Amino acid sequence: MQDDNTNVKLPFFGIPKVVPFAMKYKKRIIAMVLMGILASLIDSVFPLFNRYAINHFIGEQTLDTLVQFIVLYLVILTVQVTINYISVWWAGMTEMDVDRDLRDASFNHLQELSFAYFNQNNVGYIHARVMSDTGKIGELVAWRMMDTVWNGSYVLFVLAVMLKMNARLAMYVLILVPIASVLITWFQRHLVPLNRKIRHINSTITSDFNEGITGARSIKALVVENTISNDFRRDTLEMKQTSVRTARYSALFSATVTMMGSIALALVLWQGGRLTLETVLEIGTLSVFMSYALNLMEPIQMMIETIAALIAIQVNIERFTRLMATESDVADSPEVIAKYGDTFHPKKENWEKLEGDVEFRDVSFMYPDGNEMVLEHFNLQVPKGTNVAIVGETGAGKSTLVNLVCRFFEPTEGQVLIDGRDARERSQLWLHSNIGYVLQTPHLFSGTVRDNLRYGKPDATDEEIMRALKLVSAEFVIDKMDKGLDSEVGEGGDLLSTGEKQLLSFARAILADPRILVLDEATASIDTLTEKAIQDAILTVIKGRTSFVIAHRLSTIVDADVILVVRDGKIIERGKHRELMKKKGYYYDLYTRQYEEMVVNAVAA
Amino acid sequence: MKKEKYPTKSSLVFYFLRGSKRYFVLAVFFACMVSVLDLINPKIIAYTVDCLLSDGVSPLPEAVNAWIEGIGGAAYLRSHLYLIAIAVVTVALGSAACRCLFRICNATGAETLVQRMRNTLFDHILHLQFSWHSENRTGDIIQRCTSDVEQIKMFLSEQLTTLFRVSVLIILAIVFMASIHVQLTLVSVAFIPVIIGYSFYFHKKIGSQFRIVDEEEGKLSSIAQENLTGVRVVRAFGREIYERQRFEKQNHYYTNMWIRLMQLMAAFWSSMDFFSYVQVLTIMCYGSWLCVNHGLSAGNYIAFVSYNAMLTWPVRMLGRVIANLSKAGISIDRLRYIMNSEEEQDKPDALTPDFHQDIVFDHVSFSYDNGSTEILNDVSLMIPAGSTVGILGATGSGKSTLMYLLDRLYPLPEGSGKITVGGVDIADMKGEWVRQNIGMVLQEPYLFSRSLSENIRIASPSSDMEDVRNAARIASLDDSIEHFKEGYETFVGERGVTLSGGQKQRTAIAQMLIRKPPVMVFDDSLSAVDAETDAKIRSALKENAGDSTVILIAHRITTLLNADLIAVMDKGRIVQLGTHEELIARDGIYKRIYTLQMEQGLETEAAYAG
Repeated sequence: MQDDNTNVKLPFFGIPKVVPFAMKYKKRIIAMVLMGILASLIDSVFPLFNRYAINHFIGEQTLDTLVQFIVLYLVILTVQVTINYISVWWAGMTEMDVDRDLRDASFNHLQELSFAYFNQNNVGYIHARVMSDTGKIGELVAWRMMDTVWNGSYVLFVLAVMLKMNARLAMYVLILVPIASVLITWFQRHLVPLNRKIRHINSTITSDFNEGITGARSIKALVVENTISNDFRRDTLEMKQTSVRTARYSALFSATVTMMGSIALALVLWQGGRLTLETVLEIGTLSVFMSYALNLMEPIQMMIETIAALIAIQVNIERFTRLMATESDVADSPEVIAKYGDTFHPKKENWEKLEGDVEFRDVSFMYPDGNEMVLEHFNLQVPKGTNVAIVGETGAGKSTLVNLVCRFFEPTEGQVLIDGRDARERSQLWLHSNIGYVLQTPHLFSGTVRDNLRYGKPDATDEEIMRALKLVSAEFVIDKMDKGLDSEVGEGGDLLSTGEKQLLSFARAILADPRILVLDEATASIDTLTEKAIQDAILTVIKGRTSFVIAHRLSTIVDADVILVVRDGKIIERGKHRELMKKKGYYYDLYTRQYEEMVVNAVAA
Repeated sequence: MKKEKYPTKSSLVFYFLRGSKRYFVLAVFFACMVSVLDLINPKIIAYTVDCLLSDGVSPLPEAVNAWIEGIGGAAYLRSHLYLIAIAVVTVALGSAACRCLFRICNATGAETLVQRMRNTLFDHILHLQFSWHSENRTGDIIQRCTSDVEQIKMFLSEQLTTLFRVSVLIILAIVFMASIHVQLTLVSVAFIPVIIGYSFYFHKKIGSQFRIVDEEEGKLSSIAQENLTGVRVVRAFGREIYERQRFEKQNHYYTNMWIRLMQLMAAFWSSMDFFSYVQVLTIMCYGSWLCVNHGLSAGNYIAFVSYNAMLTWPVRMLGRVIANLSKAGISIDRLRYIMNSEEEQDKPDALTPDFHQDIVFDHVSFSYDNGSTEILNDVSLMIPAGSTVGILGATGSGKSTLMYLLDRLYPLPEGSGKITVGGVDIADMKGEWVRQNIGMVLQEPYLFSRSLSENIRIASPSSDMEDVRNAARIASLDDSIEHFKEGYETFVGERGVTLSGGQKQRTAIAQMLIRKPPVMVFDDSLSAVDAETDAKIRSALKENAGDSTVILIAHRITTLLNADLIAVMDKGRIVQLGTHEELIARDGIYKRIYTLQMEQGLETEAAYAG
């Protein structure tokens, strides 16, 4: 489930889990590290030029080596600029490459997860895993590492030089390093949870925006602009207060770090000055020491910040690896994959033709997040071409059987057989490629009408598309749009009405020419006349195909070969319409109640 | 073209800056203090090195020299070197305090600014005309309200204060340098326009690449979003491979665009490095030449070089600020687009009449965004107060649009008829008043991220739990709620439990009922519930509707047949009008639909008899 596991502790900050993704760019990363070290070295060379200018040109009042001086300077400068250019570019490239690979990996993994996962995690949450966690990890691999190399090598270099020049004076500076480290760590300990809280409020604010924009119509119709706006203001106020508090800490923090540098400088000036007066130390060396003392604290601070970033990033790594470790409840076995191929590499040449015989054999089923069997020892034979209707009250569990036929879920016990063989013996893609499913809440993708209709059959011609549209009486939808099949349907099909979306998704399913057709309340938002036309179309379309029709309006299913009546998640009656009516059971009640009013009224009239 | 509310970038920026300006002014003041204080310690060091450790000339101003003489002169300090150390630490402490205050003021300003930006944007969006929401993509607007806001905050709080600080530093450095050698200063300063000009050149390139990256990220994000929302369709059609290819293609393209941006940035940064180092080289060489040929002193040379070093960093920062200006400019424009969109407006002296009166549609015609096909064509309909009116019609016949117009979700343009309540044109009323009095249950209702009970009473905050239960009972939602572990406290919406279509519809019905509005509109609100629940809801409603006017849109004849008046719509017109009895007595759409639905009913009769 969705948890905000923000206090994750992974061994080595979870870095080992990311290493495989960085390994692909091993060579580039090694090159980056080497260049980083070289850049730090060159940085320390530049001050020497000035010293030479002072000692040689000015001290000896001659410009004899000026040309060589300029040439050498420009050569080294060119090298450094080139290195900087390449390492920034490559670090950016590595970051983006790793991000891209992580996004690809998580997206592709999601394509293979079962519906149980999608039922338990909402879209926004999963979306953040693909789009934002991956970015954080890429940043870690590229920039944090480069920073560590730059700063680490600089600190080591400086310490070595200082110790070599004057060990005693170096000790005055060195003694400050652990004190500074302790102070910095103390600040970080306060800053990390505050930053975490900021991120949390930030995501709340983003979903507030989402709500304000997606729910705009409802907000307006309900006139709750002020309620929604007040809630939003509460969140932004909390954000401001937390951020300002965090800023106070970090302001104090950075001031402390700068102070430490100044204290080091003062120490060097005092003690070093004394040594100079005693002529133990040269002035030149003293000035080098002073500049080192001033500049040492910043890289130390940067390195500690990197550690803080690592602590924070563990959450992202954890979420990402957990997503990747989630296994599908419905997975094809290795043998099946060997023969039929996996989701992304189907071996269509080995696919058998699907006839459409479906059989439930002693099936018991419980939803992965449920705690009650919704099917127990259920048996049903559906020979090919049979029309099965499933009826029952809202929320009675009518979709369960269909979910099993489509293998969106697998039986807890027993078997679902397709053409006489266990569904698990063939790949999911094989099955899905032969199923047409029209959902209760129709979903269209943004793009043109044509793109959407072709979704199930990418090579469909315009003639075929128009034929399918005609079959479901949906030509009028196209006629009234200004660009015909090229008209955009908007995000999620929002430019169309619910009924129109249902018609198009029905046409889409028919176009795919499936062997098994599933209609899940496919005509709920369609008017009666169109529905009648569709009914006739359904009769034509389902001829020779196995079909499962879920319906509220019982009028639509009286001709079914077998009607299953579902109540409280269990199948309580089954048979043909006439048989069920004779039986005067639950179906009879449902049916008569639906028409009672009308009949009574008709008689009265 | 109407006049825009914020015609320029700066007009919007200043509007946003209200309330936070003073923090930024204070921040700039402290930043300048820091710059000035930071100039003192190098002087102390120079004095220590030149006067105390060797026998040079004091680089300090005369007044300070006199003061030092007063306390015992260089000799005294030489034996009490710790005093120098204390001076350094004291100055550093002052500088650190100013730095701390600078950051606090800056952050307070930035957060106040962001808070204002967010609140203003959010309120503005809530009050925009509804058509705006259909024309703009959710993801895009959210991106504007989050990343672009962030971008502007960064620019104003970090870049702009840097700009001030840096300007102070540059001016100080130039003044010090000019006091040493004017010509050398001119050479040094000559680089500044070059660097700034170069920054402007890059600013354009980086800006346009940044825009591309931004757009591509938006596309990638929507592909992922659509894939996840439509996961059932993807699976049912077995189109995982296609989805993967689509995502990977965009993902790779987006990545390449980013890398190109990084490459530009890298080129910019490193070429800036190059310019600065060349400038340093020029000063070193020209300075040395002046020393050798024109008697510039060694001490002055050293001082000049160190001031020049002070100049290098600020000028580079200046370049960076300019480069970021492009990003911020784009972001401001993106927010300006939102802020310049017109809010819904009421006429002055808008009316708030009673809604327990006749509703009249008077020759109403309408089409969305002028030009596309007419959705409504000369619709006239009179709905008597307190009556129940049913509307039947094919998909796309304009039923919902008619209701949106009544609810003033879309304004009715001049000359395309009018809608009146008790004789008053709704266009002359307050928009909020209209919607408060019309309880509308939408076809695809939206639930808010809060508990069920809060959702039900969201539009009626004074209602207590008893009212909530009552509304839920009338809407036949109470049974479903009992099935939830946490009952009425179950968290729903974006960040909670997902409800089925029927449950959502019934929640929306309860949400409307609890308000007891004088006009109730059910826009095909019972399509996702079964006939039995439908009947239950309607009979409960009949008992509780009181004197409210009820408008029912439905496909089931049973839902409509008890209405006082039924309007049948076809292709944007009302083609039939009458009671159920009248309508079935005539040939027409209604009778055809009725017959179709009855055929099954009569079969039931037969079953009764048999």
